[in-house]
Amino acid sequence: MTAVRQLVETLRARGIISADAPPAPEPLDERPWFLALLLGFAGWLAGIFVLVFLGLVFNPDSTTAILAIGLALSGAAWGMYFADRNAVFVDQLALAFSIAGQLALAWATLKDVNSMLLVAATLFGLQCLVFAVMPNKTARTIAAFFACIAWTFVVRSSLRPGSSADLFFDDNGDAKIPPLGEWTVLVGWLLTWLPLIALLVWLLRTESRWMASNLRAFARPAITGLLLGLALSGIATEPVTMLLFGLQSLGIRFSWYALFPLLSIALAVFAAYCAFGLRSFGLVGVAVFAALVHLARFYYLYGTTLLWKSLIMLVVGVALFAAAAALQARARETA
Amino acid sequence: MESKLTRGDLDALAQVYSLDPAAVESMLELSGVRPARAARLQFLASSLRYGGVLSLAAALVFFVAANWSKVAVFGRFALLELLLLLFVALAFARPPPRFIGRGALFLAFITTGALLALFGQTYQTGADVYELFLTWALLGLPFAIAGQWGVTSAAWVVVLDTALTLFCGWNPRGGILWAVFDGSRFTVTEAILAAAALNLLLWIAAERLALRAVPGWVCRLLLSCAFGFVTWAGVIGVMDGDSAGMNGIAIGGAALAMLAVGAYAARQRRDIYPLAVVLGSLVIVVMCWIPEAIHNDEATFFVMALWLIGASTIGGRVLTLLTRQWRTERAA
Repeated sequence: MTAVRQLVETLRARGIISADAPPAPEPLDERPWFLALLLGFAGWLAGIFVLVFLGLVFNPDSTTAILAIGLALSGAAWGMYFADRNAVFVDQLALAFSIAGQLALAWATLKDVNSMLLVAATLFGLQCLVFAVMPNKTARTIAAFFACIAWTFVVRSSLRPGSSADLFFDDNGDAKIPPLGEWTVLVGWLLTWLPLIALLVWLLRTESRWMASNLRAFARPAITGLLLGLALSGIATEPVTMLLFGLQSLGIRFSWYALFPLLSIALAVFAAYCAFGLRSFGLVGVAVFAALVHLARFYYLYGTTLLWKSLIMLVVGVALFAAAAALQARARETA
Repeated sequence: MESKLTRGDLDALAQVYSLDPAAVESMLELSGVRPARAARLQFLASSLRYGGVLSLAAALVFFVAANWSKVAVFGRFALLELLLLLFVALAFARPPPRFIGRGALFLAFITTGALLALFGQTYQTGADVYELFLTWALLGLPFAIAGQWGVTSAAWVVVLDTALTLFCGWNPRGGILWAVFDGSRFTVTEAILAAAALNLLLWIAAERLALRAVPGWVCRLLLSCAFGFVTWAGVIGVMDGDSAGMNGIAIGGAALAMLAVGAYAARQRRDIYPLAVVLGSLVIVVMCWIPEAIHNDEATFFVMALWLIGASTIGGRVLTLLTRQWRTERAA
């Protein structure tokens, strides 16, 4: 007997579902995380190729033409998702069309815009719209994740008005003091992450309520997207020129700014903890991977001397062992 | 009830039976998908302990990289050697699978690499970077085996594959491996295929022996590394990238690896991860071949998009069905 049938029988025996309720449905054909990742990446890349192909064929040179292509592709994606609600046959085609459509819409609306804030806010709005409209779990998960990344840029560019990556460093490669004062760095971090954490915690705490309504179709992908966002978006919060391993930034004097990647590691560990609560070991793995990437960023990106970094890691290590011992004792008491 | 259920299964049940919030709450409790408070605390404590070990390892590496001039060369070597002795002594006193033993052997493995790096940094031996990683992998192997811990095994796999990637990618002439892969007798393609074969052999050995030191996720890491090299060889082959005319061997080697792993996984009927890796590799290799075969920009992008959509749709569908079929067989 499958686990689903076993559960249904238990629910029936306890009177939670009526005795004459229909038999248990077949278990869902859920994709393992690595397959979902592979298919998501393939769909995303195909979307870019679709857009390049259409660009080469139609050679759209006006905003209206690009907008029309974006709307047509997004509409086609919506239609395919709607027609094939189980997303079995055309989901990859729909995903590619959806990605291509979003890129075209972003291109059409932002090609003459120089304000980072406007770009970030528009992309955030676009991802929220896709999340609300596209009737598909994968599309909503990707939109929620991209919305998290866009949100980090919305907050950053709100606190550092301007237009490009040189907002963060002067010509000597030294960190610029934000126009509204240094206090905005910490406030920016809190403004970026606290709303996302609060939303995630609220969704997890109210799980049984939204599972009992149609909101489950939105809340489940929102949780996955938020977990991915908390774990990985920290990488995107770097200035554009420093994404991933921007070795050119070695030696920049950043003083206590050096602690920020450690906060990103804390976010990734929090995401892993929440993913464990959902028993999603694929997401736990992604969060652990993200934590290791943040550690590499700590080594490469921030110019506080390596000696200080070594000392910081030593202190962090000892603190983590102490916290682990305390938790272990509590776990034993609870058990 | 043992929890083999996913949140997706429970969402479907809530929908099919129109459960109210109280009923959903009961279902969540009965299904066992929510870890108990003790289990959550245990997970958090384990995560923090792992984090503590990794932080100490990072502190060690950062310290060596800092090349602190206020400590003399003798002092730096003495410090690392004393730490190495301390970690080994700790592992003897509290041997694995106890956490202290595992953590100590992981730190001993990291210290081995730090010592080698310090040696190269101090004496400017002129060795290539790949030699550092390769020597580290060889000298650190006893710690990886004795550690009986996936984290140490995974670190060892990463170090070994970093060495192989640097060797194949930078193609340096000289050093340990060139005693075997001499430039006049072997090409880069053959070195890449050898790296793939080594990883595949390690994967098969780990699968068959089911060692505690190499849990399932490390086996998957080995297979992923193997297919990194397989894909690399395939891409070189289809893009006519081997100057020594070994393109056929590159494609043949990649195809053979895909077929062999696919057949092995289909025979085992246990895990679809190998098939997913084969699918990913095939998709990339063919995608790189398309621009070589079609010399028209519009057609190239159209066919590449078509290939990605078609291959991922069919491949994804087949693998999803196999997942269900193998799961059902196991349950029966």
